[in-house]
Amino acid sequence: MKISVDYARCEGHGLCADQASGVFSLDDDAELTYHFEGAEVPEEHQPASRAAVNACPVAALRVLS
Amino acid sequence: MPTRTETPVYHPDLYSAAAIRDTYPHYAALRHLGPVVWLSKHKVYALPRYAECKQVLLDDDTFVSSGGVALNPVANRVGQGTTLFSDGDDHARRRSLLAHRLTPRALRTMKDMVDQQAVAVVEAAVARRTIDAVEVAMALPMSVVPDLVGWPRQGREHLLRWAGATFDALGPLNCQAVRTLPASVGMLRYARGVVRDRSVLDSSLGHDLLRAADEGRIMPAECATMMIDYLAPSLDTTISAISSALHLFATHPEQWRLLKADPDLVASAVNEVVRYESPIRGFSRTAAHDTELAGTLLPKGSRVLVLYGSANRDPLEWDDPDTFDIRRDAARQLGFGQGTHGCAGQGLARMETSAILRALVEKVDRIEPAGTPEWALNNVIHRLERLPLELIPA
Repeated sequence: MKISVDYARCEGHGLCADQASGVFSLDDDAELTYHFEGAEVPEEHQPASRAAVNACPVAALRVLS
Repeated sequence: MPTRTETPVYHPDLYSAAAIRDTYPHYAALRHLGPVVWLSKHKVYALPRYAECKQVLLDDDTFVSSGGVALNPVANRVGQGTTLFSDGDDHARRRSLLAHRLTPRALRTMKDMVDQQAVAVVEAAVARRTIDAVEVAMALPMSVVPDLVGWPRQGREHLLRWAGATFDALGPLNCQAVRTLPASVGMLRYARGVVRDRSVLDSSLGHDLLRAADEGRIMPAECATMMIDYLAPSLDTTISAISSALHLFATHPEQWRLLKADPDLVASAVNEVVRYESPIRGFSRTAAHDTELAGTLLPKGSRVLVLYGSANRDPLEWDDPDTFDIRRDAARQLGFGQGTHGCAGQGLARMETSAILRALVEKVDRIEPAGTPEWALNNVIHRLERLPLELIPA
């Protein structure tokens, strides 16, 4: 499973980090960090990652495969 | 492939006064009929289930907003030039003018002020003990939003009535919309005056708009509609969420005790309140070309009605959807819309509602019903009009 992040769309609402804290995090400036950029999301994080994609208010996250 | 003659049809008026006050049985009947239901009264395809609502919101190339998102042709024409009624690059350009001022990132500097005001609002309410919680719910948005948008202090007394009327106008052209039409025109006229006189507050969103017009990035005539674009949706909606939260905690004391015991549940509670009593009933979209949705053929130009309030109670998506439970993961609820047109002010709405809930948790032991609540009559906004409660201090 790979996820694409549209950083231009991201407004920093942080709902992804609430869903999948091991995959997404927001720093003090509400800037998003995606911990598996360009890599496969490990299996144990996949259900939470799907929930994060599903919750993004501005649809900045997409499951690629 | 089914055509309209095979699509289930629903005849009752979804926007009668009785249906506005008690909409959930209608939503349940619509969901039961199917994923796409023709509303004969309003000549529109209703989408009562979560999956299709989400699909339409996320596919803004097929289901466009530039034909208007209202249910009547007058509003769909008058609203041209707003962010709400635009698509693609045009929408992105309009949204980029202001939305960056409303992101959680930009709002950080306001958090302490919002928290302090929320505590003051709750302290004053606790001192009165018996309250109309709708008045309490109004206090914070009214003290925060007009300043942010830059609306001059003079004329603010009309804002709520005007904003509510603007939402009425986005429903069908029924008695409710006609009755409130003068007020929504009043808001537009006032906003044009504000732009003409340049009487917006310094360093506000409105000020940014005037500067964008001065620099030729938007048409001067767009300033007034875009101010309304941001102001109108930022009051009633948040007032709805805060008053519904108070109503739900008063009627679900076990949920209130959960929140008292674990205030970290506040963020989750806000999602659950917006899921359970979605402040906006629905907006429409237009099919940009012939398309198919859940097996129903929709010819180009078909109007679909995205029923947020129904999607958020869809048993195909939610376990026990009619149960209010703040421990539920309701982050994917559609009460703020989703995707390109997802509510630009949701960071502020979450901030205000959370601040009130945190202040209540701190200052209030129990919230008890003190009379019969009344729901407001509005074609688009779902909120309480009157909510008598007793707050028992902590």
